[in-house]
Amino acid sequence: MDNSAVRTENLTKVYKDFWRRKTVPALINLNLNIERGEIFGLLGPNGSGKTTTVKLLLGLLHPTNGKSWLLGCPSDDLKVKGRIGFLPEESYLYKFLNAEEILDFYGKLFRIPRKERKIRIDALIHNVGLNIHRKRPLSQYSKGMLRRIGLAQAIINNPELIILDEPTSGLDPIGNHEIKDLIIEFKNQGKTVVLCSHLLADVQSICNRIAIINKGVLQITGNVRDLLSQKDVIEFLVKNLSHHDTHAVEAFIRSRNGNIVSVNHPVSTLEELFVNIVQGRR
Amino acid sequence: MVILTIAHHTLREAIRKRVFYVLIGLCILITFISLVIPTTDEPNARIKIILVVFFQVVVLLCIIGVILISALSLPSEIEDKTIYSILSKPISKLSIIIGKIIGFALLSALILAILGALNIIILQQAVVRLPEGCKDILKARNEFTVSKFDIQGKLHHIREGTVWIEGGRTGIAVWNFSHVCEKPDSKSYFEAELSPKIESTGKFADSIPLVVRLEGVGSDHYRTEVISIKADEPFLLKLDTGIIQKSSNINISLFPLNTTDHIGVTADDVKVFFVKKGFLLNYIKAGIITFLKFLLIVIITVMGSTYLSAPVSIVSSLIVFLCGHILDFIKDFSFLIQYQGVHEHALPTVMRKPGVFFVYLDSCMKKILEWFSVVLPDFNRYDSLEFLLKGINIPLKTIVISFGYTALYAVICLFISFFVFKRREFL
Ligand SMILES: Nc1ncnc2c1ncn2[C@@H]1O[C@H](COP(=O)(O)OP(=O)(O)OP(=O)(O)O)[C@@H](O)[C@H]1O
Ligand SMILES: [Mg+2]
Repeated sequence: MDNSAVRTENLTKVYKDFWRRKTVPALINLNLNIERGEIFGLLGPNGSGKTTTVKLLLGLLHPTNGKSWLLGCPSDDLKVKGRIGFLPEESYLYKFLNAEEILDFYGKLFRIPRKERKIRIDALIHNVGLNIHRKRPLSQYSKGMLRRIGLAQAIINNPELIILDEPTSGLDPIGNHEIKDLIIEFKNQGKTVVLCSHLLADVQSICNRIAIINKGVLQITGNVRDLLSQKDVIEFLVKNLSHHDTHAVEAFIRSRNGNIVSVNHPVSTLEELFVNIVQGRR
Repeated sequence: MVILTIAHHTLREAIRKRVFYVLIGLCILITFISLVIPTTDEPNARIKIILVVFFQVVVLLCIIGVILISALSLPSEIEDKTIYSILSKPISKLSIIIGKIIGFALLSALILAILGALNIIILQQAVVRLPEGCKDILKARNEFTVSKFDIQGKLHHIREGTVWIEGGRTGIAVWNFSHVCEKPDSKSYFEAELSPKIESTGKFADSIPLVVRLEGVGSDHYRTEVISIKADEPFLLKLDTGIIQKSSNINISLFPLNTTDHIGVTADDVKVFFVKKGFLLNYIKAGIITFLKFLLIVIITVMGSTYLSAPVSIVSSLIVFLCGHILDFIKDFSFLIQYQGVHEHALPTVMRKPGVFFVYLDSCMKKILEWFSVVLPDFNRYDSLEFLLKGINIPLKTIVISFGYTALYAVICLFISFFVFKRREFL
């Protein structure tokens, strides 16, 4: 059996204009192979073709050329969609429904039985932190709240493969943090996650493998550790070392012909500070 | 069933829109206005106005409303990209289309049910206020077809297919109905509708006395009566149930009482009906036929909206709907040009003396229109108002034919919608 979660073969997309003339290609001969159980980052600058790739995978667009497979099935197979969760790049949701109704609607589309659906919806609304807003119509939601519902919607069917297109856009740092935790949790459950983003810090901290595309062309793909590790640099993180001893260590390194690039106190990230303050007050 | 999920979702979206409430409000307003429109003095004119306003104005308004709502739905979902969240679920595109259609069909049914119920209540109220003797206006009659039409004795002359006979027993017009077999109960009865043309001493007359004779063939039961018949109003004659029960084969004979009077008759001028109280049932049948009309326009609109943008699909549906109503007129228009001699005075000068170009243009247009009338659905088929106004029971056959007609279009439109929608991209 095909063990890949996502596989593409020469996937190419050229958008056509109103007169069916071809414009610039958005994606050129993409060959990807994402293993099951991976957290895969699809990176690239604005307009590089990330969203186009995702839409092709989901059959929202027809490829100009090439093929793709999801979980071993051709991507235009209807059944395989029941095993996939998708979060589009913006929250395109029905504004006239409330949180409960919209999740119920999507749950029904996934043919989840009524009882099961109710349990999952309760849990999901709770998990994305919208319990007190569950009866409010989505038209009154903020961007980040919509994003949370979008995420809940993407995982309501307990999918094997989750495709997230810029999941953190519009989310506050707490939400950002929660998403990261969630993705790691997915990984522990053996699910596959495809993450499109250009927030490199996030990707770096959670992805196993990444691919970078630029102007529709795949530039590089590989293991994050392998791609990033600088084999000739060593970093120490030391706590409670006296001033005097620090100098001694520096002197020792120099005596061994080590080249000290920088010595300083690490700053905690603004994100950490924000999370500490906001959660401390809660 | 995911199709029903989509249908429910579609209906819910529609009834949470403001358009829906505006539409219902407007229709209720119009229904009440029909109570105060001035009418003629005829006792049942008010009833007729209420029926006409409902089936012509209110239904038209609702159809426009349903076209608006259903033409906007799919294009706005594609525009807002909310359709992504449906398309990424395990549902075929055909289910989406069918679900949408069912949703709007339910919407139409809901609107029709609300307004129809209101209309019925108002009708009932209006009937209660009618003077005694006119209250049986709300009825449903089954017509018996005439088996034989005959003139006994001398006919005076024949003009344009109408047979004229002179008064005083020189000639008698006889209509034979051979299968008048229904079991009447306390609430139902038989009636004859007499509508001969009348003349007195060669001139137009307001009313003349007429001799009517009803007899059961094979039994020697009969009844003769003199009635006064008016020029433009059919005379309703209650028939003796006794005679009909003795023999289901009856003759109705007519002749003018006075020798100076004449009547002009054709085979259709005497009709025999079995009158029942089943107006409500008949009204529901009319409602079903009207619903089929809604269904057809919904299917066509959804088909358009799988490809067209919202405004274009609204306009195209309205055009199809209008053309479907004036199909006969369109054909007539071409007829007018071809045979301009017939209506010469009514035509502009260019048409009166057509040049070669004009005749050519007309024949081209006629070809196109012929094609049009083959492809476009004929919405006049769904006219059920006539039945209600005349109090004639809508035959089951009419409903079945309307249903078949709608189903035929539904299948064709679904095919087209499916192939268009399948090839569509969602940018
Ligand atoms: N509907 C469209 N019609 C024509 N060209 C399009 C369309 N959508 C996207 N493109 C083009 O395709 C290319 C890739 O776009 P895509 O949306 O995939 O980028 P992206 O990587 O998702 O960017 P971002 O980070 O901004 O979301 C761009 O050059 C864009 O101009
Ligand atoms: Mg994008």
